[in-house]
Amino acid sequence: MLLQLLICMIATISFAILFTAPKSELIFCGLAGTLGWFFYLICIDQGAGKPVANLVASFALTVFSRAIASMRKNPVTVYLIAGIFPLVPGAGIYNMSFYFIMNEMELCSAAGMETIKVAGAIVLGIIFGFTLPQGWFNAIPKWKKHR
Amino acid sequence: MAVTKEILALAVETGDALLRNGAEVYRVEDTVMHILDAYEIENYDVYVLSNGIFASANEDRDDSCSMVRHVPLGSTHLGRIAALNELSREICSHECSLQDAWVRLDHCKSIPCNRDIVQFFFCGLGSASFGYLFGGNLTDAVSAFAAGTLLQIFLNFLSRRKTSKFTKNILGSALVTMISLLAYSMEPGIQYDKVIIGAIMPLVPGIALTTSIRDLFNGDYLSGTIHMIDAVLTAFCIAVGVGAVITLYRMGGAI
Repeated sequence: MLLQLLICMIATISFAILFTAPKSELIFCGLAGTLGWFFYLICIDQGAGKPVANLVASFALTVFSRAIASMRKNPVTVYLIAGIFPLVPGAGIYNMSFYFIMNEMELCSAAGMETIKVAGAIVLGIIFGFTLPQGWFNAIPKWKKHR
Repeated sequence: MAVTKEILALAVETGDALLRNGAEVYRVEDTVMHILDAYEIENYDVYVLSNGIFASANEDRDDSCSMVRHVPLGSTHLGRIAALNELSREICSHECSLQDAWVRLDHCKSIPCNRDIVQFFFCGLGSASFGYLFGGNLTDAVSAFAAGTLLQIFLNFLSRRKTSKFTKNILGSALVTMISLLAYSMEPGIQYDKVIIGAIMPLVPGIALTTSIRDLFNGDYLSGTIHMIDAVLTAFCIAVGVGAVITLYRMGGAI
């Protein structure tokens, strides 16, 4: 599991570099991705389905990105975009087209439905993450100063 | 008299730069309005779409002014977004005069992309890591590294020729699939599906999906839909690219 998280961090940071994130924020982009993947793994481990795991993971990722964004005074996008990549259903797209080509329509539609479900779950996770009031996140830097 | 025009131009130009580098509509609209507020323009209207900006200021006065910008969907540059955000923050706290702001804006817009070689390497590294993460082993990761690096070289090559996005995605994913199957035919131990999944990650529309959701959530349904269609079409192109090559290989009897 630790190795997985490490690799996930490398993957996220690589993609953050690919989208030219500021150098000082790279490590936080990596952390965002790792956190998302951590929650995903935990959920899968507890026997949750992929959609639920993605929902929880993208929610955690969004909340973390917003917290970091207000702490570092940067747009949320910087962390969210890099962090979302491990969750995006690239494998689902591949499986769907593969089964389609192999003419295994049942497997194809199963993979397609799962891809849509996962994408929907990510959507919901991000939306839930954004419904938390901005005031909470603005309080973080102030609270840090107090200490 | 010309002041309104200059302020509006600065605000819209900043918004344009943000949008061009992949910020979400809400942020762009917010930034433009904040800049106008900061320079004490009271009467304005701003409407931002994912590929255009419409703004007008002081319409009831003599120096009324309005601007329209067309912004094609571009590639994402997070560094520029962060820098522009910093700039608008300073403008809002009145630390930045109009002239300074223009200089700073030009500076933000010219933050370079990473050098080609850096992009190649990290695209490869990212692909390899994802290949491993999605269940591949070390050999798969190495093949995914090669596929990812070549993919980025190919994409940069295509960008210089102003190739359309669809062509890029279809050819890119076809290239990845070809490399993976080639590796498979040389070394049958390779799980070629893991290699493909890892190496198509740079193409997968994660950004379009995220931006689309955030636009929809902020009530910008039109912009959200534009990005969503972008995401779906990109996914479709990837499926076509991967599918076409696999079919060809199957006809050749290699798998």
